[in-house]
Amino acid sequence: MITFERFKLDNGLTVLFHKDPTTPLAVVNTLYDVGARDEVDQKTGFAHLFEHLMFGGSVNIPDFDAPLQMAGGESNAFTSNDITNYYDVLPANNLETALWLESDRMLSLAFTPKSLEVQRNVVIEEFKQRYLNQPYGDVWLELRPLAYEKHPYKWATIGKEIKHIEDATMDDVKAFFHKHYNPSNAILCVAGNFELDYVKEVVEKWYGEIPAGIKPARILESEPEQTEFREKIIERPVPTDAFYYAFKMPERRSEGYYMADVLSDALGRDKSSRLYISLKKEQKLVSEIGAYISGAMDQGLLIISGKLNDGISFEDLDKALWKELDKVQTHPISQDELDRLMIKIRTSKEFQEQGLLNRAMNLCVFELLGDADGINTEHEIYHAIQPSHLQETALHILKPTNCSLLKVKASNNA
Amino acid sequence: MLNRKETPAILPIEKINFVKPQVFDISTSTKLFFMKEVPNETTRLDLYFDAGTIKGDIGIASFVNGLLLSGTKEKSSIQINSEIDNLGGFFESGISNENAVITIYSLRENILPILRVIKDAIQNLAFIEHEVEELIADRRQKFKQNMEKVSFLAQRAFQQRLFNDSIYGRITNEADFDTITIPSLKKFFHENYLNGLTKVVVVGNLNQDEIDEIIDLTGIWSSEVTTQFENSIKNLRGGAHILKDGAVQTAIRVGKILFNKTHEDYNDFLILNTIFGDYFGSRLMSNIREDKGYTYGIGTMVAELHETGYFLIATEVGKDVKDATLKEIQFEMERLQTELVSEEELLLVKNYMLGQLLKSADGPYSMTDLYMSVEPYDLDLDFYNKSIESINQITPERIQELAQKYLRWNDMTVVSAG
Repeated sequence: MITFERFKLDNGLTVLFHKDPTTPLAVVNTLYDVGARDEVDQKTGFAHLFEHLMFGGSVNIPDFDAPLQMAGGESNAFTSNDITNYYDVLPANNLETALWLESDRMLSLAFTPKSLEVQRNVVIEEFKQRYLNQPYGDVWLELRPLAYEKHPYKWATIGKEIKHIEDATMDDVKAFFHKHYNPSNAILCVAGNFELDYVKEVVEKWYGEIPAGIKPARILESEPEQTEFREKIIERPVPTDAFYYAFKMPERRSEGYYMADVLSDALGRDKSSRLYISLKKEQKLVSEIGAYISGAMDQGLLIISGKLNDGISFEDLDKALWKELDKVQTHPISQDELDRLMIKIRTSKEFQEQGLLNRAMNLCVFELLGDADGINTEHEIYHAIQPSHLQETALHILKPTNCSLLKVKASNNA
Repeated sequence: MLNRKETPAILPIEKINFVKPQVFDISTSTKLFFMKEVPNETTRLDLYFDAGTIKGDIGIASFVNGLLLSGTKEKSSIQINSEIDNLGGFFESGISNENAVITIYSLRENILPILRVIKDAIQNLAFIEHEVEELIADRRQKFKQNMEKVSFLAQRAFQQRLFNDSIYGRITNEADFDTITIPSLKKFFHENYLNGLTKVVVVGNLNQDEIDEIIDLTGIWSSEVTTQFENSIKNLRGGAHILKDGAVQTAIRVGKILFNKTHEDYNDFLILNTIFGDYFGSRLMSNIREDKGYTYGIGTMVAELHETGYFLIATEVGKDVKDATLKEIQFEMERLQTELVSEEELLLVKNYMLGQLLKSADGPYSMTDLYMSVEPYDLDLDFYNKSIESINQITPERIQELAQKYLRWNDMTVVSAG
């Protein structure tokens, strides 16, 4: 059980407080309800570029990191297609330093041209390092536009292309900030060994005077229902053929999401999973295979991916794979198998919740979903899942007309 | 009116509580370390074997490590993995140059049943032919993939030149995969696993009976021999470039043989290391990322071996700025040798490092890891009190002295790939 208190400031900022009496540290986690899905088609990669700029000085404080380091702390952030999340970890008695820094950059940024210029370059190098200069690094850049036609999930967080990042202007930056970075669009979580009254007092002190702003409405292009099998083959200088089967799956706020999650575990989470045993160990078609979900807020993807053994064709794999998918559609999984999936889920969750930072981040995510207490009740949703649910989910999701297949053909397979 | 221009008063860290695990003898040379103070149901068990990559013929250690759960006469690898998964266990096996470590994560109630499964799987490991062939094929694929990465190419070349002609400098080539035979795997396994257990580490709220059973189950593997590690390695100075067609970035590795925690300059050098490249505001990050935008990241580290250690700078940069980056690295080294660090920068680094140490000691898992990183050197937690002392007392002059002694560009091995 993860306990928390919730309060709201007059300007609309939602604040969560999680008390942990055992730690000498404090975590300040800030989730902004903005991600790559809130970008427009011609200016992608912006939410992420903006995350970098958030470290380039705020209206009253020229440098974000140095004062935090001086207080013994450190900070980082990440951007996904759905959210942008910033966190600070520091000795508990210096909590106010983090609140001072975070509240000032919520108030306004410095918007220096130098910061924009440098971070554009840094993000371009990140683009190269993670997406272009790695074998299979560009797979998500290819798979997303294949699986999505309209919804902004069709581009990756890093952006569609480097040019979009090169073209970002200071006016774009300012407009993005004013639209998305305000108290009503944020969830703050303070975690550590504090008293609620103290947390209320210091949060009110640093955040109370930030103007409210308006929570931007999110109207995204909805994805039309997929009715045909899609396939794309790309050739790359990689040593091994690789495959990515992407199936549309239900959005985060639905029970179907959890069913698809468990279904993906049954197919390919561990070395006891169906695809691993059948396609790798028994039929020896693949060197690696796994199944997982993209974890998206809106309609997401269940992915089955892996690499072919030398001498095996995509057709061999395809036939064997659909046969396995057919089994999970025609026969309910056994209670033993379901129990195994459930205990793995429970064990992972226990380990995740070990860390103070993880708890603070997850509380914010669940609050965004509607109620931070979801962190404590989520296991009930998992536990209500029956073999018949998984069979229905498989029937609904794992069909060719709901599938986009990306094949990476090795061009230097020596 | 709220003053937003000034930082709130910063309070110093008053003290850090270091907690030592309990120590039990498994045999004369093998110990079990036990951290009981875990406020939840999680448990972690690590088994350390004297089976690192410096042992045996090239490549063999890594294959044996990958085959530990590959099946016995009675049970297939599928059965073994299913039994572990049925108990909600997560199994990892990893290898470094001096050790092989297997780790089990599970809920408290399942740790012993899982260990029994793993005990049986390892004790009766059969090296089934098709499993061995499968692993060799998988590793061959993985190796080819890695050879496409500039970071891997640079790391290999760096390792070769850093460790020079010592056993640590051996690197695997694809042809080595052809020399693996089942008898050679069995021999290595027998010597370095069945008689190679050097340490057991348990984190979890277990009772004494459970600890006793862990000792019973694993004791039979205790190592009787004490491995001698090399202590007089000298890095090959100067540069080498590995060509990689089509790469849009170049990986850079710069470093030299240094020392480990037993050296008198270790603690002070760590402070210099932090200033130079080991935090977000470091000299290298400020210059090469935050001023020039040449890279997504650049960092330095001090890595340790049993008898020695090394210093490393690592980054990936745009392919047009390789030389410019090397020039800036050299410039920053020389600046530390010729200019005193300002009191303000030093204070910031001191506070930051104390905060990091507080974080490293937070919670039973971190605390155990902190202890296990001094234990190989016959040091105890007092080492960290000395670190704190060192942080509190260091001066700009001392930083400069260490930079002059250890950060000379001409002493470095310099490797790039791209």
